[in-house]
Amino acid sequence: MTVTRNTMAPRRRAFLTGKHLLLVVLSFLMLFPVILTISTALKTDEDVRVNPFGLFSSFSLENIVTAWTEGNFSDYVLNSFLLSVPSTVLVVVLSTMAGYTFARLPFPGRSIAFYLVVLGLLVPFFTYMIPLYFQLRGMGLLDTLLGSNLVLATIGLSFGTFFMRAFFSDLPTELEQAARMDGASEWQIFVKIMLPLVKSGGWTLAVFTFLQNWNNFLVPLLYLPSGDYRPLTTGLYLFLGGRSIDIGPLAAGTLITILPVIVLFIAAQRRLAEGFLSGAVKG
Amino acid sequence: MSRATTAPTSHTRRTAAPVRSGRPRAGRLRSGAVRSGQPRATRRAQTRLGIALTIPLMAMIVTFFLVPLGSAVYYALVDFNGINPQPPFVGADNFVELFGDPKVWAALKNNAIWIVLGTAAPLAIGLGLALLMWAVRRGSIFYRVAFFFPYVLPQVAIGVVWGWIYDPVRGWLNQALETVGLGSLATGWLGNPDTALYAVLGTAVWATTGFVFIIFLSALRNVDMELVEASRLDGTNPFQRLWHIILPQIMPVFLMVTTITLIGGFSVFDIIFIMTGGGPAGATEVLGTYAYSSAFQLNRISYGTALALVITVLAVPFAVGLNRLQRRLSLQGTGA
Repeated sequence: MTVTRNTMAPRRRAFLTGKHLLLVVLSFLMLFPVILTISTALKTDEDVRVNPFGLFSSFSLENIVTAWTEGNFSDYVLNSFLLSVPSTVLVVVLSTMAGYTFARLPFPGRSIAFYLVVLGLLVPFFTYMIPLYFQLRGMGLLDTLLGSNLVLATIGLSFGTFFMRAFFSDLPTELEQAARMDGASEWQIFVKIMLPLVKSGGWTLAVFTFLQNWNNFLVPLLYLPSGDYRPLTTGLYLFLGGRSIDIGPLAAGTLITILPVIVLFIAAQRRLAEGFLSGAVKG
Repeated sequence: MSRATTAPTSHTRRTAAPVRSGRPRAGRLRSGAVRSGQPRATRRAQTRLGIALTIPLMAMIVTFFLVPLGSAVYYALVDFNGINPQPPFVGADNFVELFGDPKVWAALKNNAIWIVLGTAAPLAIGLGLALLMWAVRRGSIFYRVAFFFPYVLPQVAIGVVWGWIYDPVRGWLNQALETVGLGSLATGWLGNPDTALYAVLGTAVWATTGFVFIIFLSALRNVDMELVEASRLDGTNPFQRLWHIILPQIMPVFLMVTTITLIGGFSVFDIIFIMTGGGPAGATEVLGTYAYSSAFQLNRISYGTALALVITVLAVPFAVGLNRLQRRLSLQGTGA
């Protein structure tokens, strides 16, 4: 027994070291495009021209400045926030309200309503994006922040409602019954007893939805055609089309676009993964 | 994360719930409704609050989802060019034209390639990475973050960076090929009609693998280690253990991931639109980009809408079939 352990141990350790080595190499390969972006964005103009894709061969912020001022990325950042924040708030608030109802408050027609909401998980945005364009035009919502926020929110609502309902379903019934005995109204039960218990789920949904809306490309592409409210995604696309030779500022623009994503990802990695795992039910 | 897929232990139940209840469960919904022993006044108050809390949601769903969805069917049956207020009814003409359109078949073929490779590759690589990470404790957070990160990036940013990697002159891919003596393979990856589709596909595989990986990793946490150990003692090789012991246990998750990536293959749009716009010479045209250009560049609104509907209709049988299979397997597997 001891003999085998002595011979096994070093072999196992070598095996584990090899595994780590492989994992480190693979991690580098997976992160390489991100590293390349950061490296190119932080080079001097001169260096980009001579050696555009050499890693970290010089350091300067001039590309960032160019993208921020000449490339209009300062506007794009603002627009991205104006498109992502209100729509995310809307998704979290409405999903929490409806999620509570679908889990806890029976009313006639509730099942039908819920199935209609779940239908939104099955039908891709793609299917109805063209008619929606003309509908928004007819409603005067085309090329407005309001219209795009409402569309972004609706895209997120089906999943949000589904997600929040699951949290409310798992809370014990005894809680609300006890509160009801104490004379709490249904509204008070919802706000004072139930809401605090799903706070964590609400934050997960918020982080997840914000990221989805921040990254969304089709909604601003289709429904903000004039460019007055262009966010980072379509802004970067435009920049790519117009100045694809200006690799330095393009890299800087890319970095500006993904920086909030990086920050959010590092700060809330677990929440995000959880959101995506639940989002997996979405076809 | 590890808690999210199927782990049914008591303290993880809450976070696990959204995933497990992947489909609408009529039973559960009804059980809430029939909660008996409630005084009538309470029930009435619940109904009132329930309706009040749901109205804003339903208003948005109806206005910005159900109405345009209904219009999509209408648009597909008329000939709308974006201007005429009363478009003529043409019945199934759009669909008839669609089936005779060689561009549709070319796009469909690209979709098929995308679906097969874009599903198989992330599944294989993601499972491989997850198996590699399975027993690793130290540094596991770092690896997990590194592998998962590409999935959360915006597609435009991904398109930009991979454009540089595929750059014909100074791109990293060509340079790497030259270094290992395969310089003859170097080409303008996105500009060459023979390679463009696979180049974009490679980018998409890079971006989706992390997602598949993280789902498999959490599924592997629930694999019965005693079974794996027992079979190891029986002298099985790693491949046999994977095939006979591990895969059957993660089959429901495997099918779920397959469904998602497969459906994604039907409606792929962003990454192709950004990287090649369907070109060169239609080499990367898929149904999605064709529907977009028909509607918004050629003003053939009805034709584009009909195409988009066809994409959805094509994807649904796959989704339903795989979903049913997955449900049957997970019922068997967990005894739930």
